[in-house]
Amino acid sequence: MIKQSDGIGLSAIISPEKVVFISGSPSKEEAVRQLTEAMLPRVDGLIGRKALFDRVAEVEKLNQVLESGFYIPHAKFPELDGFHAVLGIIPEGFTDQATGLKVRALILLLSPHKPAFFQRHLNMLSLLSQTFQPELIDKLAALKDPAAASSLILGK
Amino acid sequence: MVPNQRFKQVFVLSTAMLSFISFWKAAAIVLCDFGSSAYYSGGIAMRAYGPAFPWFVLGVMLFAGVMLAVYVESCSMFVRGGVYVVVRHAMGKFLAKIAVSSLVFDYVLTGPISAISAGLYISYLAKSLLEMAGMHFPFSPNILAVVFGVAVIAYFWKENIKGVKESGDTNVKIVLFVAAIAAVLLVWSFITIYVRGFTLPPFKLEFSEEALGWSKHFSWLKPIGMIGIFMAFGHSILALSGLESMAQVYREIEDPKVPNLKRTAIIVFIFSVLFTGVLTFLSSLIIPAELVAGEYSENLLSGLALHLHGPYLARLALQILVVISGGLILMGAVNTSFVGANGILNRVAEDGILHDWFRKLHPKYGTTSRIITMVAALQIVIIIISRGNIFLLGQAYAFGVLWSLVFDTLSLVVLRFKEADMEREFMFPLNIRVKRYQVPVGLMSVLVVLLITGVMNLITKPTATVAGLIFTAVFFTIFQVSEKMNEKKAQLYKPDEDKDEELNLRRADDIHTVVPELTKARRVLVPVRNPNNLHHLTEVLETADDETTDIIVLSAKIAKGIQSGGETMSDEDKEVFSAVVLLAEKYGKTVKPIFVFSNDPFFSMAQVAQAAGVDEIVMGVSGSTGAEVQMERLAMAWGMLKKPDAPAKPVLARVVWEGRQMTFQLS
Repeated sequence: MIKQSDGIGLSAIISPEKVVFISGSPSKEEAVRQLTEAMLPRVDGLIGRKALFDRVAEVEKLNQVLESGFYIPHAKFPELDGFHAVLGIIPEGFTDQATGLKVRALILLLSPHKPAFFQRHLNMLSLLSQTFQPELIDKLAALKDPAAASSLILGK
Repeated sequence: MVPNQRFKQVFVLSTAMLSFISFWKAAAIVLCDFGSSAYYSGGIAMRAYGPAFPWFVLGVMLFAGVMLAVYVESCSMFVRGGVYVVVRHAMGKFLAKIAVSSLVFDYVLTGPISAISAGLYISYLAKSLLEMAGMHFPFSPNILAVVFGVAVIAYFWKENIKGVKESGDTNVKIVLFVAAIAAVLLVWSFITIYVRGFTLPPFKLEFSEEALGWSKHFSWLKPIGMIGIFMAFGHSILALSGLESMAQVYREIEDPKVPNLKRTAIIVFIFSVLFTGVLTFLSSLIIPAELVAGEYSENLLSGLALHLHGPYLARLALQILVVISGGLILMGAVNTSFVGANGILNRVAEDGILHDWFRKLHPKYGTTSRIITMVAALQIVIIIISRGNIFLLGQAYAFGVLWSLVFDTLSLVVLRFKEADMEREFMFPLNIRVKRYQVPVGLMSVLVVLLITGVMNLITKPTATVAGLIFTAVFFTIFQVSEKMNEKKAQLYKPDEDKDEELNLRRADDIHTVVPELTKARRVLVPVRNPNNLHHLTEVLETADDETTDIIVLSAKIAKGIQSGGETMSDEDKEVFSAVVLLAEKYGKTVKPIFVFSNDPFFSMAQVAQAAGVDEIVMGVSGSTGAEVQMERLAMAWGMLKKPDAPAKPVLARVVWEGRQMTFQLS
């Protein structure tokens, strides 16, 4: 049985260096690819490039865009001990073919693939989807600076 | 920007059929039909075979205990049982159609015989009161009973068209009132016997010419010895009418179902023995025999009240109360005849042996008005043809009662061999184990008694035989033709226009309109999708306390695009709900089925769960994604919909599958 016992904050995964602005109107796959590329140096030595891209591509098929227009591609790796994330902001956004929803913010979230961590993984997904509501996404899309975006998300 | 509206349509399955009742209420419903025969069975039996009638009526009531046990076994095997289902499983559709035809005959006749009997009790009371007041109107109680009977049938026809449900509470009140009057009659009768003394009724059978029927033409068939006993038994067997109500009410009995059904059977048995059996017996000890055969043959219990020891006004007051109680229970039986016949015909319609024309719903009330009207029309014709002759109606009545019991018992015997391994929570006693079979010696003995009685009735009751056979043949033909027409229809793949309404659905504007209907302290949400994957619902039904827990069963259909409002449920969607209803009935626990059109099933779950303030969400495992992905999607939907100021009520989410479960606490 998995129990949620500990809370988790966004400050553990959001910081200016983990925010990427993506220009133009990429496809969903391209946006995820760009975030994966940005993630690579953060997991260097833990996960190889091919393993990272393959796994993200594999689980990406199961992930769905939220009705708020926020997208959380996420994958679990046994090599990890904590969360790793990269937030992408796309001012122009892209339209998700599956749902018809406009996506202007997405976050690639990697979690440890450990039973004891699953509760925290679910909590983080819940917290992210609770935080990234359309109002916040609108404001983020109007920004240009990762630091300002990070501050806005963390309420600083 | 506000997220898109997630629910395109909310359908809520009518909860009426998924509410479950106590064994007290179940017993009251059965007794409103079964107990009503106390008012006329004694008089009919007396006219058939003379002063020995109380022995046989009491015997039939004791035999009712045996038949109640037969019904408990059949109900323990089939939640939605009854004669049709049991016979179909045991011996196939052909015989099931014959059995159900005779049962419909029984139900249809319940209306006229009850309405006429109530009318006769009222007529004789009115006659007494008028005579007491010095007014002598030369009116026939039978004609007045006909007028009264037609009016009663017309009233209940209208009520059933409007869809007035048979209320367990009303039945309990009626039966309690009747029981109180019966208790007064019993105590007062014993006082009368104590004061006056008594002579036991004779055993000697004195059959009337009419009661011998065609047996007069067979020189070897004398109404003596065992033959005479079976003949007399057959003339009293109409007192068993109403047992089928137990099978009909079983699906509504609350958890634990079989123990509650046994309690129901015991209450029905005790009440029937005391009320019908003992009171009929006491009537024969107190009322002079010539008056039982004459003045009181059509209102025996009124006669009992008037011949008790005590002041006349007190006896008259008791007679009035007897008439009121009789009127109530007999009119309850008239209503049961509509509900029962309609229920049975709907049940067989579900099996495709009654044409959809009969099932067309009333545009305003949503009831199967054509079936109800057909039953009412038949009942009125029967009342007029009978001209208020309760003896004639009683003769015919026994046909349907007896042959439906024969088919039911025979089927149970067959099923002991055909479905030897089928789960039975209760078995009729007297069984001998031979290899993997429980040879039903007890059931076979009951069957022999019923068969001999049935054959005797065919010979001694020409009216019943002719009328019963014609009626059965007509209904059997209707079923046969309907089945052929439905088969053709199925081959043409013609969509059924009425399918939507048959599930008794109503639309709700918003999920919040449904929430006030949830009144229990604890709430569990059970999302369902696949009718073959309801293990998680079974687990919830097995463990939830029905007294304290609302079980909300949610089925979400993905409907992409903008809200149109014109969505309808497909046959697959209805199949899910049918499976849910069957499961809820099996466990006797109330569920609240909700069907929504949604962009995403997990959003539906989260939204319903948050709107209803559930304590737990129990999901079945998805074969395509697995439990982890299900939890992830629920967690995301939960977070997205959660309001920042919402109270931090912990909600347990579980994914349950065979032997395993994964849990997570949403916050």
